[in-house]
Amino acid sequence: MSADERALAAEPPLTTAWSRSRLGVFLSQPVSWVFLVVGGIIAFLSLYPTFFLFYGSLTDAPLGVPGHFTLQNYVRAYSDPEAYPLLLNSFIFGLGASGLSIVFALALAWITIRTNAPFRRLFELTAIIPNILPPILVSISWVMLLNPSNGLINGLFVKFFGMEKGPFNIYSMPGLIFVESLILTPLAFLIVAAALKSMDPSLEESAKTLGSNEFGVMCRVTFPLIRPAILAAGTLNFVRAVESFDTPAIIALPARIEVFTTKIWREALGSFPTNHNLAAAYGVGILAVALVFVYLYRHFTSQVESFSTVTGKGFRPHQIDLGPWRYTASGVALLLLILLVVLPLLVLLLVSLLPYYHVPTWQTWQRLTLDHFRYVWATPRVHKAFVNSLFLALVGATACMILASLASYITVRTKIAARGVIEGLVFIPWAFPGTAMALGLLWAYVDFPIPIYATIWIILIAYITRFLPYGLRAVTSTIIQVHKELEEASVVCGAGFLATFRRVLMPMMRPGVMAGWIILVTIFLREFSATLFLYSPGSEPLGPLLYFLYLDGMRGRVAAIGLVISLISVILIAIAQRYSRWESH
Amino acid sequence: MFKRSSLALVVVAAVFLSAAPLYSQSANLIAAGKKEGKVVVYGSLESDTADSAFAGFKKKTGIDVEYWRASATKVMDRGLSEYRAGKPLFDVILTNDNPMQIMVKEGLFAKYDSPAAKEFTKESIDPNLGPRYRNVVIGVVYNKDVIKPADAPKSLEDLVKPQYRGKLVMPDPTQHTTTTQWVASLDKLMGKEKAERFIRDLAAQKPILVESLLPASERVVTGETPIAITYVKYVLTYAQKGAPLDYVRLGKFMGDGHYLGLDNKAPHGNAAKAFIDYFLGAENMTALAKLGEFVNRKGIYPPLPDADKIQFVEMYDLDSKKFAEKKKEYQQIFLH
Repeated sequence: MSADERALAAEPPLTTAWSRSRLGVFLSQPVSWVFLVVGGIIAFLSLYPTFFLFYGSLTDAPLGVPGHFTLQNYVRAYSDPEAYPLLLNSFIFGLGASGLSIVFALALAWITIRTNAPFRRLFELTAIIPNILPPILVSISWVMLLNPSNGLINGLFVKFFGMEKGPFNIYSMPGLIFVESLILTPLAFLIVAAALKSMDPSLEESAKTLGSNEFGVMCRVTFPLIRPAILAAGTLNFVRAVESFDTPAIIALPARIEVFTTKIWREALGSFPTNHNLAAAYGVGILAVALVFVYLYRHFTSQVESFSTVTGKGFRPHQIDLGPWRYTASGVALLLLILLVVLPLLVLLLVSLLPYYHVPTWQTWQRLTLDHFRYVWATPRVHKAFVNSLFLALVGATACMILASLASYITVRTKIAARGVIEGLVFIPWAFPGTAMALGLLWAYVDFPIPIYATIWIILIAYITRFLPYGLRAVTSTIIQVHKELEEASVVCGAGFLATFRRVLMPMMRPGVMAGWIILVTIFLREFSATLFLYSPGSEPLGPLLYFLYLDGMRGRVAAIGLVISLISVILIAIAQRYSRWESH
Repeated sequence: MFKRSSLALVVVAAVFLSAAPLYSQSANLIAAGKKEGKVVVYGSLESDTADSAFAGFKKKTGIDVEYWRASATKVMDRGLSEYRAGKPLFDVILTNDNPMQIMVKEGLFAKYDSPAAKEFTKESIDPNLGPRYRNVVIGVVYNKDVIKPADAPKSLEDLVKPQYRGKLVMPDPTQHTTTTQWVASLDKLMGKEKAERFIRDLAAQKPILVESLLPASERVVTGETPIAITYVKYVLTYAQKGAPLDYVRLGKFMGDGHYLGLDNKAPHGNAAKAFIDYFLGAENMTALAKLGEFVNRKGIYPPLPDADKIQFVEMYDLDSKKFAEKKKEYQQIFLH
C-alpha cells in the first residue's frame, strides 16, 4: 500500500463525513432534540403495546402461551362474504353519523362563536355536556324517548294528535345515525369552534365589501377556511362511529341491523373464551382504514399556507350582526341543544329521582326519591372514584396536550423527513377496539421493569396512548391556521426554539389546545373500555364504577353520578374556556 | 334430673370438641390473615352482593377485601394473563362455571377443602372447585300491570302462541354467550326434537333482541315489552323497589353455577382461606339469599314466592368451537 493509499484509508470516506456533518447539523438544532424525544415517547407508547397485538394477530395461541405463526386469523376475519354487506352498513352508519354531527356542530359553532345571537355564551358552554355523558346513557335516553312501543315523545304525539301510533321508530338506520350523531357532535363542535375562534375575520369583511351577503360569506369564505378543522372532526367522528359498539348494541340489535362491530363482538370480543387473536386481526383492518383517513386528511390539508389566517397583522374579534335573524339563530341553537343536552339530561334527572325507571304516570310524583343522590353522598367508594378520575382527567389531559402540541408542531411546521411517521404512530393504538388495546397494554406492562402495573399510572399511560389522536387533531387544525411569519419574526428577534414555542406559538394555539384539553378531560372522566382491564383494587375510577352499577341495573345511581360528573365538567369547561378565548390573548 | 343434666353436658362437650378444630382452624387463619393485611378478590359478583359479603367479612375478621370487578370473561382473561406472566396479584376468583373450569385446566387454583363445604348439597360440589355457592336461574318474567297473571304464559311452550307475538324480549343468542348456552341446553328440558321445533317457533315470534339479560328485564319493568327471558332474581330486586314483576312457574329452570377458587400462588393465602370459609358460611349465604340469590347451602332460599320449588338444571358447558357453531346456527334462525 502506497503512502497515498494509506492516507486515503486513514481518512474517513467522503460520504461518511458528509453524513456526520449532516447529523451534526441535525443534532445542533433544538427542534431536532424535541423531535427525537417526542418521537421516542410516542413510538414507545404506541408500538410497545401494539407489538403484542400484532404478534397476537399472527399466532394461534393466547398471549403468554407459545403458539405457531399463522395467517388464519386474517383469513377468518376477511374471507367471510357476510362481512362485506356489514362493512357497507358500517360505512353508511359512519358516514351518516359523522356527516350529521358536522352539520350540527357547524351550525352551533357558527352561531355561538361568530354571531351576535342572544344567549350564545350559554349555548357554547352547554354544547359540550353530552361529551361527558357515557354514550350508553345517551342511547338509553333516546330509546326511552323514541321507542315505538312506549317512547315518551311518541306517546305525546299519540295523545295530542290522536295518532294511532307514534311517528318515530328509533330502531332503524336513521334512528341509529341520529343518536350516534348527537353523541359525536360535541367533539366536532369543539374542534370547529376552536378553528372559528382562531380565524381572521378580515377575509370575510373583504368578501362583504365585494358585495357578498352573510350566507354567501359563510359558505364561500368561512367554511372553506376552516376545512382542516372540518376534515379533522369528520375523520375522527367517522372512525369513532365505525368502531363504536354501544349505540349499535342498544339500537341496531333490536332493529336487526348488523354492522361490522356486532360481527367483531360476536366472533371475537364477545365470544367465549374471548378470541383476542381474531380481535387483533380485525383491529389491524380498522387500523388500515384509520391510516387511509389520516393520509386523506394530510392530503387535503397539505397546502397548509392556504389555511393560514392568523398572521402578524393585528385583528380584533368581529361578530356578525344578524339583525332580526339573531333570534332565529338562537332558536336553531336552542333546538339543537334540546336534542343534544336537554332531553337526555331530563331523562337522566327523571331516572335519578325514581326508585326504578318506568314510564311516568301521575303516581310517579309520589314515588320520587333522593336515595340515589344519598348513595353518591355517603359512599366512600364513590368519593374515591371521583378523586381518582379527577386526578386522571387533569393530569392525563394536561400531559396529553403537551405531547400533542409538540407532536403537532413537528408534523406541521418542520421539514424533518420522518415527521409523518409520528402522526401514523399516534393513530395506531386508537384504531384497535378499546378492549383489545387494553389487553395489549396489560401484557406490555405486567412484567415491565418499572413497577407501574396495578397502579393508577398504568391507566394514565393507557389514556395518553389511546386518546392522543384527539389532542393531536384538535391542536393541529389550529396550528395550520397560524402563519409562519410570526415564528420567523420571533427567530429574527433572537428567540430560540423553546422561547418561540412558548411565547409565540402556544398563545396562538391556545384555542385548539384548550379544546383538546376539554375533549380529553370529559373523555377521561368517564372512560371505561380500556380502564376496566387495567384498574386495580384501590384505583377504581368513575368509568368502571358507572359501568358496574349499570351492569347491576342501578340506573338511578348511574344517573345521579352522571349528573354530578356533568356539573363538575361544566365548571372545568367554564374555567378552560376563559383561557381559550382570543380576547384573552 | 342428674341424667338429663349430664346428657346435656355430654352434648355440649361433644359439640364443643367437634367444633374446636374448626374454631381453631378459623381463628388461626384469621390471625395469620390479619398479619397479611388484606385479601384481593377478582370476580364478576354484582356490586351490592359483593359489598354485603365484604362488609360482613371485614366486621367478623378485621381483614380488608380489595375487589376487582369485571365480566366473567374479563376476570378469566386478567387472571390467566397475570398467572402466565408469573405475577398473580389476586388471592381468590369468584365467577361462573365455564371460565372457572378453563382456569382449573390451566392450573390456576389450589385445592382448598373449606370446612363450610359440608353444609352444601351433594350435587352442588365440584371435585376441583368445591361448592357451587349459587345458581343464577333463567326463566320467564312478565309485567303484571301490562299482562294479568291469568293471561300470562304458563310454560316455555306457551311463549310461541300467537297472542305473545311481538310481546317478548330476550338477549340475542348470537351475541350473548349465556343465552347461547341457554338455547343450546333447551333439550335438557324438552328433549332434542321438541327443543329444535321450539327454537324455530320462538325465532318466528320475532322477539325483540337486546344485548344481555338485564336490558331484557328493564324493558319489562318499563312496560316497553311485557315478557322477557331473563334472570328470575330480577323479580325480587325490582319488586323491592316497587316494580310489578312476576315469573312463570316453570318447575324446571336452567341456569349457570358460580364458584370461588383459591389462587395457588395467592399472595395472601391465609386471608384468602379465611375469606372462603366466611363466604360459604351460613351468615353470608343467608345475606346473599336475602338479596335474591339462589344459594346452594342447605335450607336457605331467597324471599321469592315458590323459590323452594324451583328445580335447577345446569346448562351445558360449551367449548369455544361449540359456541361458534351455535352462534352461527342461531344467526340463521333468529336473524334471517
